[in-house]
Amino acid sequence: MAQASTDPLTAPRTRPGTARPRPPRRPLRMALWLAVTGAVLWAALGVDVDLSDLLVGPGRLLSIAGLMFTPPDWAYAGRAFEGMLESIQIAWIGTLLGAVFSLPLGFLAAKNVTAATGSTVARQVLNGIRAVPELILAIAFVPILGLGAFAGTMAIGLHSIGTLGKLTAEVIEGIDAGPVEAARATGASTSAVMRWGVLPQVLPDVVAFWLYRFEINLRTSAILGLVGAGGVGGILQNTLQYRRWDKAGMTILVIVAATVAIDAVSSRIRRRIIAGPDRAVVVAPVEAT
Amino acid sequence: MTAPAGARPAKPRPGWGLVAGLVGFAALTWWAGGARYGIGFSVAEMIDNARRARRIVSDFFNPDWNFAPATVAPFVETLQMAILAAVIGCGAALIVAFLASRLTTPNNPVYLVDKGGLNVLRALPDLLYALVFVAAFSIGPLGGILALIMFNVGVVAKLLSETVDGVDTGPVEAAQAAGAGRLQTVRTAVFPQVLPNYLAYSLYAFELNLRASTVIGYVGAGGIGQLVQTQVARFAYGRVTVIIVEIFVIVFVIESISIALRRRLV
Repeated sequence: MAQASTDPLTAPRTRPGTARPRPPRRPLRMALWLAVTGAVLWAALGVDVDLSDLLVGPGRLLSIAGLMFTPPDWAYAGRAFEGMLESIQIAWIGTLLGAVFSLPLGFLAAKNVTAATGSTVARQVLNGIRAVPELILAIAFVPILGLGAFAGTMAIGLHSIGTLGKLTAEVIEGIDAGPVEAARATGASTSAVMRWGVLPQVLPDVVAFWLYRFEINLRTSAILGLVGAGGVGGILQNTLQYRRWDKAGMTILVIVAATVAIDAVSSRIRRRIIAGPDRAVVVAPVEAT
Repeated sequence: MTAPAGARPAKPRPGWGLVAGLVGFAALTWWAGGARYGIGFSVAEMIDNARRARRIVSDFFNPDWNFAPATVAPFVETLQMAILAAVIGCGAALIVAFLASRLTTPNNPVYLVDKGGLNVLRALPDLLYALVFVAAFSIGPLGGILALIMFNVGVVAKLLSETVDGVDTGPVEAAQAAGAGRLQTVRTAVFPQVLPNYLAYSLYAFELNLRASTVIGYVGAGGIGQLVQTQVARFAYGRVTVIIVEIFVIVFVIESISIALRRRLV
């Protein structure tokens, strides 16, 4: 490659006397990095962790895994599966509740169909609902609604109103204004504009989000039983508490298998809804969790 | 367009996909919500339950604000757990993500093992990790941090590997043509392209962490969740309300900041 430097295309471009310009200073970026570094240091020094646990932990983790899966208690599969079915039911009804209530709220929160003050208020209500985790809601609902599936369903339903409402509003804000104007031009009332101008445009995306939320809610409903809110989580809690590792291992296998299988079916249906019969598009919104 | 009045064309019949979807939806709802096989969802029964639990409800609506100072230390711990887990988890996710994209990992076995492992990792809920880690390590924040790290690697590596799949291949080819090795290609041609997304995903993971770290304490993994658990066990519902309101405010504020930052990034 000796002759490369004489080639005018690859020869260094520096002419004598031209120094490289200095990189621009970025005070904001510097401040941000400093803040992040400071936060990490503060957290690392402040948190109450006994590092000697880190040495014995991995060994114990391996032995627990061994107790769980070599082999799992296959006879326990039926009981675990029953619990998983209840989790699926909780997730389904919870998502349905969220879907029903989030649709009107989503319309209210969309800036292009609702006046500014109204949409801001609706949006903040949705943000507020989203801020409380399902498990915390379930903890509050169990003593009120009683142990069991009701509390879990209501916790998932309420939280889903927040997440689905926000996504619905965002989809509505992204619609094509043409059909809305066309509907208005024919003298359609506000409700008719919503029904014929907005809803048909957003429905496929919104229904796909509902299904996606169902997948997420399934993961949540699988653990809500830990606080007594029904589903397979209660079984998990019992088996782990009494150190019945092989039964816990079986339960975990059932949870993973059911989750992966339902994800596969659901994502196919979502693709079909979004893309129509011919095309295939993947939909997995970043903001959906 | 001279169609005679009244001769509207017949509406197209609904496709079988729609019909099948609606039937499936109705059947699932009946199965899940009905009393026969499912949870027996009934608003009347729930109202009835709530009425019988009137004392508890009124406890919830009488927050014990004097309890607030005692919640500061657990909240600090929650925040520390979320920060540490985000930093370590997102760092690890960077490697996992590049190994989970065909563009940066043409080696098939490595790619498949990494991608498959990532899917299993994501199928397990965060609270389950917390349960297992608390059993294996110790009660306290360590188990919680480790659980959150697993959860973070799952989220960030999945999102990032998809972004890596979609980068402009021009710079990659240019780097390869200039004789760059695999690591150099990733460093100079891929990483700069995905950096803004990576930072945004990391912030997003931190938000999720913050919410998750409020609950994983419930199984003994440190932070505010552990306090919730002890107060619920004592039926001190007025104190639980205080904690819930605080979680609400803290999550809300930090999320708003993080969302604003993410908007600037992408």
